[in-house]
Amino acid sequence: MTERRVGVAEVMKYVIFAVIIGYVVLLLMFTSGSSRSFDEVADSVRGALDTETLTEMNDQALKRNFGLNSADYDGVLYYAAESSMSAEEVLLIKVKSDDQVQEVTDALNERIETRLDAFEGYAPEEAKKLENANQSVRGEFIFFAVSSQAEDYRAAFDRSL
Amino acid sequence: MLFSSVTFLFLFLPVVLAVYYIVPDKGKNPVLLAASILFYAWGEPVYVVLMILSIILNYFCGRDIDQKADDPAKAKRSMIFAVAVNVLILGFFKYYGFLLDTLNSVLPSDIPYRELPLPIGISFYTFQSLSYIVDIYRKNVKPQNNILYFALYISMFPQLIAGPIVRYIDIEEQLVKRRISAVRLGQGAMIFIRGLAKKVILANMTGEIFEQISAVSASRLSVVAAWLGCISYAFQIYFDFSGYSDMAVGLGKMFGFEFRKNFDYPYISQSISEFWRRWHISLSTWFREYVYIPLGGNRCSAARNIINLMIVWTLTGMWHGAAWNFIAWGLYYGVLLVMEKYVWGAAVDRLPKAVRHIYALVLVMIGWVFFFSPSIGYALRYLAAMFGGGAGLADSGTWFIILSHWLLYLLAVLGSTKAGYALLRAVTGSSARGRVSVSTIIVYFGMFFIAVAFLVTDTFNPFLYFRF
Repeated sequence: MTERRVGVAEVMKYVIFAVIIGYVVLLLMFTSGSSRSFDEVADSVRGALDTETLTEMNDQALKRNFGLNSADYDGVLYYAAESSMSAEEVLLIKVKSDDQVQEVTDALNERIETRLDAFEGYAPEEAKKLENANQSVRGEFIFFAVSSQAEDYRAAFDRSL
Repeated sequence: MLFSSVTFLFLFLPVVLAVYYIVPDKGKNPVLLAASILFYAWGEPVYVVLMILSIILNYFCGRDIDQKADDPAKAKRSMIFAVAVNVLILGFFKYYGFLLDTLNSVLPSDIPYRELPLPIGISFYTFQSLSYIVDIYRKNVKPQNNILYFALYISMFPQLIAGPIVRYIDIEEQLVKRRISAVRLGQGAMIFIRGLAKKVILANMTGEIFEQISAVSASRLSVVAAWLGCISYAFQIYFDFSGYSDMAVGLGKMFGFEFRKNFDYPYISQSISEFWRRWHISLSTWFREYVYIPLGGNRCSAARNIINLMIVWTLTGMWHGAAWNFIAWGLYYGVLLVMEKYVWGAAVDRLPKAVRHIYALVLVMIGWVFFFSPSIGYALRYLAAMFGGGAGLADSGTWFIILSHWLLYLLAVLGSTKAGYALLRAVTGSSARGRVSVSTIIVYFGMFFIAVAFLVTDTFNPFLYFRF
């Protein structure tokens, strides 16, 4: 009887250790940030974008649409559709400190609300894209995409880290 | 969740206390455990899984060591496995980014890596787990049979996030049986309020002054400004951390637990050795019991003892953070303790009391410069400013800060010495035996409401030791 209990504790500690390793691997795959530079990540994301529908926007557009100053961050990549009939846009920001994550995510959520109000009545397809907006915070990188290809853009972002 | 948050003070704590006191004795540990898991998950919804896995791992490791106790070689292997896994997990989350950054800076390489945030409290709960494992191996304690009780020991919310590091041997009996009463609830609440006031009023206000001064480039600081910045940080970190520890001890008492004190007026010390007997006592005790003594302590040659001290203090520095400034801070204290022990300790003892006090405080202040600096280069520039290498002796801005905040510094000095507590007891009319008068209740309620007023008007101010 004693021998059997000895075995249980010994086996369980190895099992739990293996589970911890698996858990850490999952964390690294799905939640981790990256030591890569903003330019490296931005180049990878830019390469995946459909530039026929999306155009790179300037700092004023970021300020106008999100209320954010690009100078406050390590890097900003902002693409949006030129047509006012389209809600498509992709934003990548690298914050300088963790404190900035909340202000950026608040701005993203507010942007979704504002755009939903604008599109809900007359462009249900665009409103659906907004409802399915893809947001991800990975360490200091914040990714946001409103697009029919948002999943593909997100995949490119995840791969770039 | 922070102790110094409105959510904790007016929602979490009252609800948990009410449920805890209503349920029969058998239900108290499960209630406290559930509250602790919720408390942690509130701030760390992802890493709560890591903590639970760590609890289960250490529970089985403890049992495995005990079951192999008849075969010392097997027990030792089992203990080494448990210690290695705990250190590996802590090391991975805390140091692997630092290690790769260091490699990238010294080698012609640029190894990219995935960054994970440091799980809050991991340094504290890992050290508690290690003390449990080693004490079982040493046969100082028996392993806990009830996994819920063990989980409560590791995750108990009053001390989970920033200590004190409670050794299992100190709390083993209390996990099974403890005294819960209205008197102890009241005593705990008083200790908690003192800690809250220390943090919210004194730590946050002195912290604001430090932020203001440290925002100026070190080379543009006058001597007085640099010293005021350093002194402000010394008060901030003391009231921040000892305030948290008081809150933890007070909360523990409210739930029937007795935790050892973590601070004993460190700024009244007259030597560096004394300072470390009074500062973060639970960490110093841990390193003494589980690193210094196993290395041979002082029962060895002087050379070996010096090596032991330097190992312990390098590890103490590293425990505080994965950065060279913390390692420098640890080494600085290692060198000072070696010097006090082998070179100038006897001479210091012969100095007048006031000189000994100044000696200790000046060295502690220099130590804090390494601690708060983002890099060793900045620390050296800041130290240069403190000793005249900055922008002159004094500046009008600093005098304005001193004149407009003299009362704050007076309170901070009083609060750092036994005189502050004696004054509080005199004002409230409470006796050393814990008699509580009406004036005590009024004063403590006053302190509580002032602290809450600061809380609701202040910006977010997490505890400094959360990042360790």
